[in-house]
Amino acid sequence: MRNLRRTIRVRHLVPVGLVLAVAVGGLLVSLSAGASTRARTVPSGSQALAATPPPIRYVGNFTSSQVREGQLLFEANCSSCHGDRAQGAVGPNLQGLGPATVDFWVSTGRMPLADASVQATQKPPRFNGQQATAIAAFVASLAPTGQGFPSGIPHVDTRNASLAMGNRLFVLNCAACHTITGAGDALAAGAYAPSLHVATPTQVAEAIRTGPGNMPVFGSGTLSDAQVADIVAYVTGPIQHPNNRGGLGLGGIGPVAEGFVALLIGVGGIMLIAFWLGERA
Amino acid sequence: MSTTGHTTADRPSGRRPSAVDAGLNWLDDRLGVAKGGRVFMDKIFPDHWSFLLGEIALYSFVVLLATGVFLTLYFVPSTAQTVYHGVYKPLDGVKMSEAYASTVNISFAVRSGLVIRQMHHWAADVFIGSIAVHMCRIFFTGAFRKPRELNWIVGVSLLFLAIVNGFLGYSLPDDLISGTGIRIAYSILLSIPLVGSYLATFVFGGVFPGNGVIIPRFFILHVLVLPAIIAGLIGAHLFMLVRQKHTQFPGHGRTEDNVVGSPMFPTFMAKTTGFLFMVAGVLWALGGLAQINPIWQFGPYVPYKISYAVQPDWYMGWLDGALRIMPSWEFAGFGHTIPFEVFLPGVLFPGLTSILFIFWPFLEQKLTGDRAEHNLLDRPRDRPRRTAVGAAFLAFYFMLFCASSTDVLANFFQVSLNVVLWTFRFVVIVVPIIVGLFTYRICLDMTGAPRVGKRKRAVLIVRSATGEYTTVEAAPRPGDGHQELEPAPVPGFIQGPEDGEEREPGVRRVARRT
Repeated sequence: MRNLRRTIRVRHLVPVGLVLAVAVGGLLVSLSAGASTRARTVPSGSQALAATPPPIRYVGNFTSSQVREGQLLFEANCSSCHGDRAQGAVGPNLQGLGPATVDFWVSTGRMPLADASVQATQKPPRFNGQQATAIAAFVASLAPTGQGFPSGIPHVDTRNASLAMGNRLFVLNCAACHTITGAGDALAAGAYAPSLHVATPTQVAEAIRTGPGNMPVFGSGTLSDAQVADIVAYVTGPIQHPNNRGGLGLGGIGPVAEGFVALLIGVGGIMLIAFWLGERA
Repeated sequence: MSTTGHTTADRPSGRRPSAVDAGLNWLDDRLGVAKGGRVFMDKIFPDHWSFLLGEIALYSFVVLLATGVFLTLYFVPSTAQTVYHGVYKPLDGVKMSEAYASTVNISFAVRSGLVIRQMHHWAADVFIGSIAVHMCRIFFTGAFRKPRELNWIVGVSLLFLAIVNGFLGYSLPDDLISGTGIRIAYSILLSIPLVGSYLATFVFGGVFPGNGVIIPRFFILHVLVLPAIIAGLIGAHLFMLVRQKHTQFPGHGRTEDNVVGSPMFPTFMAKTTGFLFMVAGVLWALGGLAQINPIWQFGPYVPYKISYAVQPDWYMGWLDGALRIMPSWEFAGFGHTIPFEVFLPGVLFPGLTSILFIFWPFLEQKLTGDRAEHNLLDRPRDRPRRTAVGAAFLAFYFMLFCASSTDVLANFFQVSLNVVLWTFRFVVIVVPIIVGLFTYRICLDMTGAPRVGKRKRAVLIVRSATGEYTTVEAAPRPGDGHQELEPAPVPGFIQGPEDGEEREPGVRRVARRT
């Protein structure tokens, strides 16, 4: 009987303990969040340099060994659709599209194509960067690069780029499809804007300059090389490494995930507490 | 403490008055608090857990007020342009409104500002969510019936005011996403026939985005006008609750004329105070652990810029979903255009929803002819038609809610956005019908319609001594005891003391009319 009474008494202490635990936990969390405010500052992309290198270097000179390696890879992996001289067969003609176009499609894993659906899906790339460059070198060697296409594979130097300008240009030109957090989203009729969270600086610049798939081409008349570098700095900076202070980022897809958490964990969790508390008079 | 209302002379001799007693006596002599205090402290609260759902909303509101006061100290409700030079470097040198800049500062520069801001936002989401859950409890148990129709109307008003105030608060930071929301609100105002353009100009002080007046106006509505109305209505809600006394589930010893439960003091007060801290604790934990609305990632609102994948907060989802799946119908003629694709889902639909919600108690009285007073609650299964209608409506609004994330669903499941859109156009009609019919059938089955739920008896094949085979029904096994599953009497699923039985400790039973 005495044992029974003691267990009841211990059980009565549980709510007090729970309240204390939650309160102390919340206090710790908020204190640590406050502490990190002071500790963390966002790295800036702009650093003054004495000699200003060009923001984008287009590399279009390839060695003959690169072209030869590219030819072997192209014939083995691409020619069944594009023809052995990239002149087009089932797939489109690639001659004159320039090395940047080819490098983008191969290095992001979109080519070789998984299936002929609305949009080429991104897969783990079959070729490494060197091989992708070689294939681009081979295709570029077949015909002069056409008007409006970049003459080489862009190598972006973001040291002088401005994040603030990158933010403005990104919101103006990119966010309408790729979303402001770069998570990507569905477009009409099965097409979609892909996520930017794994793109390399070169791939971002290639996509801007060559306009793959549904994406429009942003030529040098629309965005200067310096502006492209600003966007690249913003994408590879705050977009890919967002400042997720304040806790879990919840996927960067906004109120859908937030509502889920609010209803399931917030309301649901408190309802469980109410259920537990309810019959304890 | 039960001697609050008595004078010292009434006390049992031998006990000296404590300091608390003396203080209360002092107050009573001047303000006459004893009588009200007596009523307050003896208020009986039923012990069932579902009676705490409304308190989640109440305590979320307390958290909203507390955190909101903190935020007003740092928020600048102005659209005056400024150039940001703060802690968050990616926005360094960007031109933005004071409202946005101050929200970024709250998130980065004010000590524990972000935790408070996130608590405020989570509390808003939980506030409206718990109102919805509380309202479901009231609806499905028939707690809105006479004499509580007025309190139901107050509650429904609170729900819609909370939604409006949530939207206003969501709009205040003036970030890219919320600015798009204001833009949609402007377009919805514009879509109202005849008066739309005048109304929109009136509210926004000009053609969108107005002349910088919308943020200050929203701010005053959000922090002063609507909270005052909400607080007043909560007061009225609780006053009516005390005045009319709680409903209760039927059970042993529970009648239309009494209330069984714990008194306010001391039992319920301990419980509910603990619950306040637990609600605040959960919201605090959410505010510290889960990011909500990271506006610094969105940038300031500029009318010609837009981001894709924009949804409103969850409680606006049903409206956004209705807007999204509405086919593009419009009327153009006589020099005017009436955009039905905006007016129907954006104005008429929420209007009809609120009218239906407000007048539901009277509608049900009309349909059932039941105009009697009810203090005992219904078990949902015992009112199959109401439960089915409620479930169908829940399904309808839930489907609309899901339709507000068409783009996210299309992207996540890698299907065409158009297919998702068309699917929802059918699903919002089909699913509620199916849910309603299913619920109706399940309710009938659960109330124990004849033979429903009885297990078939085993059949034995018996060979007689002469070699003849016959089948006989086996005797019911101990676990099969469904013989007694006759339609159960409605009351009795809450265990409680019978009259004359020994009472549970702490549980009190009082008459409804004293």
